[in-house]
Amino acid sequence: MVTAVNGVSFSIPDGQFVSIIGQSGSGKTSLLSMLGALDQPTSGLIEIDGQDITKLRGQELNHYRAQTVGFVFQSYNLVPNLTAIENVMLPMEFINKSKPERIERAKQLLSEVGLSEDQMHRKPGKLSGGQQQRVAIARALANKPKYILADEPTGNLDSETGKLIFDLLHHLAKMENTTIITVTHDLSIAGKTDRSFRLKDGKITKPKGK
Amino acid sequence: MNWFSRGVRNAFRNLTRTFALIIILGLSIGLSLSMLIAHQAVSQKISNVKSSVYNTISIFPAGIRGFAGGGTPLTMSQLKPIASLSHVIKLDESLSDRMTSSDTSLQSAVSAGKLGRRFAANGFGGFGGGANFNFKPPVTVNGTTNPEDLRSSAATTGGGNFTLVSGQVFNGNANNNVALIGTKLAAKNNLKVGSTFTAYNTTITVVGIFTSGNTFGDNQVIMPLETLQRISGETGDVTSASAYVDSVTNLNSVTNEIKKQLGSSADITNSQQQAQNTVSSLEGIQTVSLYSLIGAVIAGGVIILMTMVMIVRERRREIGVIKAIGSSNLRVAMQFMAEAVTLTIVAAIVGIIIGALASNPITNMLVSNSSNSRTRALGGSSPGPRHFSTVGGLGFFHRNFSSIHSTVGFSIIGYGLVAAILIALIGSAVASYFIAKVRPAEVMRVE
Repeated sequence: MVTAVNGVSFSIPDGQFVSIIGQSGSGKTSLLSMLGALDQPTSGLIEIDGQDITKLRGQELNHYRAQTVGFVFQSYNLVPNLTAIENVMLPMEFINKSKPERIERAKQLLSEVGLSEDQMHRKPGKLSGGQQQRVAIARALANKPKYILADEPTGNLDSETGKLIFDLLHHLAKMENTTIITVTHDLSIAGKTDRSFRLKDGKITKPKGK
Repeated sequence: MNWFSRGVRNAFRNLTRTFALIIILGLSIGLSLSMLIAHQAVSQKISNVKSSVYNTISIFPAGIRGFAGGGTPLTMSQLKPIASLSHVIKLDESLSDRMTSSDTSLQSAVSAGKLGRRFAANGFGGFGGGANFNFKPPVTVNGTTNPEDLRSSAATTGGGNFTLVSGQVFNGNANNNVALIGTKLAAKNNLKVGSTFTAYNTTITVVGIFTSGNTFGDNQVIMPLETLQRISGETGDVTSASAYVDSVTNLNSVTNEIKKQLGSSADITNSQQQAQNTVSSLEGIQTVSLYSLIGAVIAGGVIILMTMVMIVRERRREIGVIKAIGSSNLRVAMQFMAEAVTLTIVAAIVGIIIGALASNPITNMLVSNSSNSRTRALGGSSPGPRHFSTVGGLGFFHRNFSSIHSTVGFSIIGYGLVAAILIALIGSAVASYFIAKVRPAEVMRVE
């Protein structure tokens, strides 16, 4: 049995932009999966704001995923059959927001991430990588989550676009007062975050604050 | 956009695959409907055959059928106790004779032809005899207590359905000098309602003209039984009788009781065996159509099930994403159910069209194949005339088979749509299981 994450504990003030760095296989993605309640630890507990999320089941678990955290994935993971605006509206459906509210919020977010009206109605296949990641960020912010968990958000982008996306995340985090935890192995990006943790063999070895 | 509209839209996500699936599923649903229609048509026919012939017992003087064979006529006094047997609801009696030119003023509407001359040459012995070129076909007269039932007489066996063309039907228990005559006989002899003709030196008044739908039947005279007995000098004689029993279940017991009462003086058959011969082939078709229906429905279910499983496997990542951003398993499953239902409803529409077009040809093909094999089994392919024309015989068999028609009603369309939705739900139920098994953490994998 491989112990991907073990005895990790850290605290982040609200609204901070935090990075977790580490080599491949260090447990970064496993940590993020468990923070987002996408995966369950085989043993132990994960406390977020004093709540053990490993005990969440059913509606509580869905609610946590929909409202407490927002995900930004390395490979965007947009639903290919939905347009950009529909992708952003999707998580709002899960907290039963009305359709007009969903449309208004999705348009607002897509404007904030820099998509034109025309681009909002395109399917992901008709958008560039950078534009898709913008849509993914807008989707992550849709339900105003407390935490945004970003897994190598610039990993599939060229450095220029990656920088723009990073700046966008940073800007939106401040604007929406959202805490962002991003996993990256790009030290230049990690260096720009408010705080950075290094993960090695499933343990935090070097907390670094600015 | 909600789970339903996403499901509907996803059904047309890959147009090539959707088209192929709809065609395959449509064929399966079309075949299911065709088999359902065939099954219903045949079931209805079986029910009709059973209700029309199952409860009849035919009684003939021993050794005679129609005008073939020989023997001694039965008498009304012999048959009288039969009418009062328990479970016998009616007894029709008839006396048949053939009037030659010395018996009647009527001329047959049917010319002797090659067959008539051959039969006449050797006392109606068949093809073995030579030809009698002076032969003039006699006119068949049937005295009956039930003039509207052409099956009740040995002479008119296979005579089709009685339809009054003009005039009125006489009372079968009367003893008046009246007659119904067939349309062809009336035309040949220029007779109308109210016209008269002579039979056995008695003037008979035409009270009605009927048609049976065939030349033989339309060349006949029908009189009240007692009238024919009186004018022909065969008082009390009966050449055939039909006893109607209240229920199929009592048919054999009543048959045995009649046999016991009449002993060796009568040949007694009931329609159960004859009908069973006919119905057994229909039941074969019914079974084939039922199994085909079940097979086609299962095939449809398997097609949609495999398709949905394939789609779920293809979209594992997408399902993971939707779950990762807060959707419940149920909501994702409902989206896939909507997709499956959309696909099957479109396929059902195609299937209903296919079913509507194919049901009659398929039913006819099944019936035709079964009919041909049945005819061969009964020796129907051998040429030549048959003197023994028993009630419910080969002609009866063909009549029943040739009159099966399938129709597509709203109930069939309803069944089709319900079946499609059931197939879709069954198909997507397994898919739902796979959906529930998809771990949202899978989306973290980078491909």
